Amino acid sequence: MDYSFLKDAEWRSTILKTAFGKGFWGFLAFAVAMAALCYVISGQAKFTNALIADWDLIRKMVVRILVALSIAALIWVMMPRDKISALVGSNSGLRGILIALVAGAFTPGGPSSAYALLAVLTTGGADIGALIAYITSWSILGMQRILIWDVPFMGYEFASFRFLVSIPLPIIAGLIARVLCRKFNWDLKKHAESGKS
Amino acid sequence: MSIGLAVLLVILALLTGIAIRRGGQDFAPAFKRAIEQFAVLVPRMICALVAAGFIAEILPSEPISRMLGDGAGLVAIPLAVLVGLIIPAGPVVTFSIAAVFSGAGASDAAVIAFITSWSIFAMHRIFIFEIPLLGLLFLRIRVMSAMALPFVAGLLAIFAT
Repeated sequence: MDYSFLKDAEWRSTILKTAFGKGFWGFLAFAVAMAALCYVISGQAKFTNALIADWDLIRKMVVRILVALSIAALIWVMMPRDKISALVGSNSGLRGILIALVAGAFTPGGPSSAYALLAVLTTGGADIGALIAYITSWSILGMQRILIWDVPFMGYEFASFRFLVSIPLPIIAGLIARVLCRKFNWDLKKHAESGKS
Repeated sequence: MSIGLAVLLVILALLTGIAIRRGGQDFAPAFKRAIEQFAVLVPRMICALVAAGFIAEILPSEPISRMLGDGAGLVAIPLAVLVGLIIPAGPVVTFSIAAVFSGAGASDAAVIAFITSWSIFAMHRIFIFEIPLLGLLFLRIRVMSAMALPFVAGLLAIFAT
């Protein structure tokens, strides 16, 4: 067990900079400006209402996000990346697309982790339909995004409705990608080797 | 405690069990990763939530509900897709806008089309990650394959309600 990063001064200052860097102050200034505008335009009663609603939302959200991020971090560390890549090979058919859909939905983290896995899968000779289904699933159905963004901003009901409606979408995209590549004779691997990327 | 949080806690307990059975060496890197992600997301997100709450209070809801509401019917979908297409920013901005739209009377179908469109075409992600890591051919295949999806999502949502 190596928790030495906690004592690493450089790591700690990076964390602080990420948390309270330029972006944060920009958002904070924007929030304060909107609060002032609301007070001026809509009056004190509505301002107080909005403030109470915001506080309520944040209180519930922080606990949920702590748990969601712990889940995401554990999955991110334990995810069997090489096994997934073996399952979505070039002859994986509809099963490959479905596996890619599930893997995409459960890949935690932002674009850096999803695109890194995608790059690994590409060099591993994965089927184009599975690749497209994977990244589409990650962007539309990603569980981390739904828990951290959809739920607090839009509520559970909307979040689950959007999730259910969107389940077929990565499959559609994967099947279209297969047809396109067959029709136009596109080959990602050859393309990468010829250096035209 | 809500059902959603209870489900999350059960999942966390299961994963912790798996990690212990694997020898426990996964906890330190996972803890590190969780702190890093928390720092990236939470401070900005709290500001955005607060801002969205105030904007929803001051924004005139009539034009939004007219153009993106249930009454606008099918016209709302392409409009929502277009708005999602042109937002070159991360989830903080996008979901604030979605919440404002929704609060002002936009239909679920329109908001779903908007979020799906942004999810698929987010410009910043294309330029920062997709083109450098996977190349233009991949981008072309992906865009051609996924182009119709925001519309499909919006229509499915209309039919489901």
